[in-house]
Amino acid sequence: MGLPLLVLSLPAGMLGTDLFLNRMLGGNPVTAFEAELLLLDPAIFVHVESLSIAARQLLRDRLVIGALVFVVVMTPIGLWAAWKLLFIVQRINQILRVEMVANMQAMSMRFHANARVGDSIYRTYQDSAMVTNLMGMLVQPIGPIFAGVAGFFLTFVYDWRLSLVWLGLYAAAYGMARYYTPILRRNFREARERNSALTSCIQETLSGLKVVKAYGAEPFEQARFEAASQAAFDGAYGARTNLALMGILAFILSALPGMLTATVVSVLAREGKPLAAGFALAFVGFATWNLGAYANVLGRVGSWSRGARRLIWLWGRGQDMAIGMERAFTQVDMRPEVEDAEDAVPLPDFRASVVFRGVHFGYDPRHPVLHGVDLEARAGTITALVGPTGSGKSTLVSLLLRLFDPDQGEIEIDGLDLRKIELESLRNHVSIALQENLLFATSIRENIRYAVPAASDEQVRDAARVACAGGFIDALPDGYDTMLGERGARLSTGQRQRLSIARAVIKDPRILVLDEPTASLDAETELQVMRNLAEWGRGRAIFVVTHRLSTIRRADQIVYLRDGQVVEAGSHAELMERPGGAYRRFVELERSSGLPASDPNAVRGAAS
Amino acid sequence: MSEPVSIPSHRQAFADIGRALRYLRPFAVPFSGKIAYMVLGVLPMMVFPWPAKVLVDHVIQDVPIDSTRYPFFFQPVVDALVGRTPMEMAVAMLLVGLALLAVFGGTGTTELRDQTGAGLAQGTDVATRSENQANQGYSFVGGLFGYLEYRLTLRISQGLNHHYRSSLFERIQRLPMTRLDDQRIGDAIFRLMYDTPQLTEVCYRLVLTPVIAPLQVAATVWVMWMTFGDIPEVIVAALLLAPASFLLTLPFTNVMRRRSLRARETGSHATSTIEEGVSNVLAVQGLGGQAHESARFEEDSWKSYTDWRNFQLLWWGILIVFGIAGVTAGTYLFYLLSDRVFEGSLTIGDLSVIFAFFGVLAFTAENTGRLWIYLQDNVVGLRRVFELMDEPADLQPQGALPLDEIRQGFRFEGVGYSYPDGTRALQDVDFEARRGQMLAIAGPAGAGKTTLAYLLPRFLSPSEGRILVDGNDLQQIDREALRSQIAFVFQEPVLFDATVADNIRFGDPNATDEQLRRAAEIAGASEFIDRLPQGYDTPLGRGGGRLSVGQKQRLSIARALVREAPVLVLDEPTAALDPETEMQLVETLQSVARDRLVVVIAHRLSTIRSADQILFLQEGRVRERGSHEELMALEGGRYRRFVELQSSAAA
Repeated sequence: MGLPLLVLSLPAGMLGTDLFLNRMLGGNPVTAFEAELLLLDPAIFVHVESLSIAARQLLRDRLVIGALVFVVVMTPIGLWAAWKLLFIVQRINQILRVEMVANMQAMSMRFHANARVGDSIYRTYQDSAMVTNLMGMLVQPIGPIFAGVAGFFLTFVYDWRLSLVWLGLYAAAYGMARYYTPILRRNFREARERNSALTSCIQETLSGLKVVKAYGAEPFEQARFEAASQAAFDGAYGARTNLALMGILAFILSALPGMLTATVVSVLAREGKPLAAGFALAFVGFATWNLGAYANVLGRVGSWSRGARRLIWLWGRGQDMAIGMERAFTQVDMRPEVEDAEDAVPLPDFRASVVFRGVHFGYDPRHPVLHGVDLEARAGTITALVGPTGSGKSTLVSLLLRLFDPDQGEIEIDGLDLRKIELESLRNHVSIALQENLLFATSIRENIRYAVPAASDEQVRDAARVACAGGFIDALPDGYDTMLGERGARLSTGQRQRLSIARAVIKDPRILVLDEPTASLDAETELQVMRNLAEWGRGRAIFVVTHRLSTIRRADQIVYLRDGQVVEAGSHAELMERPGGAYRRFVELERSSGLPASDPNAVRGAAS
Repeated sequence: MSEPVSIPSHRQAFADIGRALRYLRPFAVPFSGKIAYMVLGVLPMMVFPWPAKVLVDHVIQDVPIDSTRYPFFFQPVVDALVGRTPMEMAVAMLLVGLALLAVFGGTGTTELRDQTGAGLAQGTDVATRSENQANQGYSFVGGLFGYLEYRLTLRISQGLNHHYRSSLFERIQRLPMTRLDDQRIGDAIFRLMYDTPQLTEVCYRLVLTPVIAPLQVAATVWVMWMTFGDIPEVIVAALLLAPASFLLTLPFTNVMRRRSLRARETGSHATSTIEEGVSNVLAVQGLGGQAHESARFEEDSWKSYTDWRNFQLLWWGILIVFGIAGVTAGTYLFYLLSDRVFEGSLTIGDLSVIFAFFGVLAFTAENTGRLWIYLQDNVVGLRRVFELMDEPADLQPQGALPLDEIRQGFRFEGVGYSYPDGTRALQDVDFEARRGQMLAIAGPAGAGKTTLAYLLPRFLSPSEGRILVDGNDLQQIDREALRSQIAFVFQEPVLFDATVADNIRFGDPNATDEQLRRAAEIAGASEFIDRLPQGYDTPLGRGGGRLSVGQKQRLSIARALVREAPVLVLDEPTAALDPETEMQLVETLQSVARDRLVVVIAHRLSTIRSADQILFLQEGRVRERGSHEELMALEGGRYRRFVELQSSAAA
């Protein structure tokens, strides 16, 4: 619809200028064509020396009505189009943003260890907005280009020499864009990277604020923030002053043709020189140069130089968009390390066993964490993973969830390689309660049923009961509807630990992984939780990473890890029989440190 | 999460605006420069319309040059043109135009006129549009003058914003510890990054408009009065636009505030969702919550778009109202002036001059009239920032008493603590902890152990009773001085995205490499650090990245040790440690405690029993107090039961 309107607007504009300047204001008689178009009486308007005041007033009424009709018709159309465009642009941006966030979530932990949260926020917001701006970019040059081309032909009609000026202008504009492109790109990249770093700086300081306060490091963090903020502004300063300067130069460049035209044509118009293509324009009253033709040609030159200027403008901003887009697409294009294989199948119900066979893994290939782990865990049993800090226990269980894939060896569930199982179905069968209790800023209820949003209140209560969390939740003023802050505020670590156990249990997984789930629980609660889990765990495989003897002893199988290798595996009784065994030493150490020999109770405890 | 801001009242709005303007003070000098630029920038506006009239009236039409009206400042040019050929006049105007173009970016002979700016492409919600607002720079003219003015303006905008968001950041850092937990980080980011730029807008609007607008109006009116004094309607019509725009937009005031607030709040919410999702990514993946998380963001993000769209719709409505006012005034004038042309008392050139000036007048008047409605969006942004700034800062009142090195220790007298929502955490706590002692706090989960520990460095202040340090009330002591003498290890280790060395050095920025190593060794961290690819210079990545929890815990203990503070507080430092490491640590703590006060919260018997004094906490009260032996001797004692349970479970 837009293009025919544009095409029509050119002769309409010429006609309007002629009627307005030459006829109404200048008082010259109108042409026969114009009279017919406006339904004017030729006797009064065409066949006279000059127009009477009454005739000019009548003409004025017609012109004003015409202009008003134009505005009244065009405004709603324009607004409607703008509204639609806004909607479409937002929709596209929405799709992109969601994909970016989903992709972030899918990236493996190896990626996240090095990525900055603030950077993701900045990319998702600021950089992705540029992609949708590109949509606008594709449409926006149409107007200026059309105006430029139309201007070229029209000025050619007026006088061919003007078209040469046109070519000169566009060549100069092209040169300018070439010159500024690399400068602007560098500037814009810097500005975006620094803003992104600033966002990260805020996010990081705020998440570590406890420590900042405890160590009185506020001045240090303040200085860091101010430096980042200043750097971001300096980046923007460089980019924007260059862009402003380019805009000014572009204006000067594009103003020159108009000024030259005004000078030359004003003299031609005074002399009433015939137009080179006067025959073609006679019907709108422009057979010779006159005031109307002067105003019209200035208008045309104005619009094509504005077109050139607009193109430079778009080009300059386009550089920023390109950088933003590149940053946004980097995030969309990242391939998660862990993905469904082509021939992945859903996991059938877990029945028999989980097997690790010769598993090697390192976050950084040069520094392997696991080298050659073999173990088997059968359904209906509890496997305790024990060993010194940093021996690879948490890493081992994270492989079970395919947070990473092993570098060598394989992990099988019921004989099926993990890599052949659909990720979603795997994670539906396996549930983990993490060592770091990451809760979400929502109610306790929503936190518990995080993985199963459809869970009933009954199920939520059951899960809380298994995790021994029901008691303290009921004691809270708002019970299950208590809201938690960003980091699960105001619950003690032990309470949060129980919530994350409940969250893992409610999924009703066939395989449950508890990564030091009870470290912060007192002995009594811990005992209760382990009892509940043992009962709940019939037919399932449970893995527990722990240092607590009381928990370990309840396991059917104990796997002792050291330096990423399984040193010993077996039941408590079996392992205790090995003189000088690693596990035995571990147990002895734990007991001797926990219980003084002088204490009769403790001695009894140790001996039994 | 912070409570939603209510829509600011008029009174609140004015108070906030006044407060915003105070931020201008440090920028008085450059800001005066900006005002000077704007004042000077009015002058070329008065000159721009005249050369075109020369071309139209005297070059094209044959109106004699000395028979029409020109203002006095253009008269010398006119005088020089008398008797010249049309060609000479045209070239002279070209030269005048070129000069104007280079200096002020206006051509004189054509309608083209430049304004300097460098707004970048922006998105379609509040957040993505703030970048341009924070980096606002503009000049109403172009050319060399415009460029210089642009640079100055940009610097002022950035300086103001920098200053403003730095002071907000400072305030956020001083929020009380418990408040911080409740505050969503994403929300704080949104306020810091996307709400603060409103300040610049307020300052520009409220300071520049009242200075420049009257001046511009006065200059224009004066020039028109001198030349077209017989047609006062032009001036009156233009000036009427100011009150008209104001009155027409007045009814939109509250809708504007409401819409703006909504758009900002939903944006803030979406930011929190991203932040939380990415920070908790381990939990998200571990529980298969990706789809859930995406859906949550999708909803929040779309809501932010919808709200912005509604906000935009309102704007369009307002613009249409302005359009109607402008078209009405323009049509009226057109009738009036064209009649004069028909009569012959005005030339066509005059008409173009008058409309050019009318344009300047109308633009200024309308902008002044719009000031109020523009401010409404700004006011909401301001309110969100001030609201966060006004959160009661860390623990009132802040004492001023300096604190020499702590010699004796702490004494709790009838201390109680309740959270602001009324939940009771501690009650009637009495005890004394002396330097040279190791104090263990034990008890079931949720007994108030961490809360008790938080009272020592005044992360929290007691609601009842008092705490004395070396005989002085903690309330009266300078907080910084107090905290500088306490090293605190949190239950959940917090590490920064920096190198290992930087993370440890956080405890004492002046620590030597030797001291770092020693602290790491004592904390049992040196062994694994040495195995890291770059040792102490290994960057840890986000939140400690790939270290195990036990390793992180040891690093945060090293951080506390390097501080060499007289008081060391550890909140469950050994929970994630294996027995061997734990034993080493406990031995270390015992030796450290010889000349310091060590307070340790623990569940592990091995840690607890090595303490000189044990506080057994239950439901916020100290139930038993004494050494391990003393407490074990209590028949049926709670601590004894606690120990027995743990021993029997372990055996």
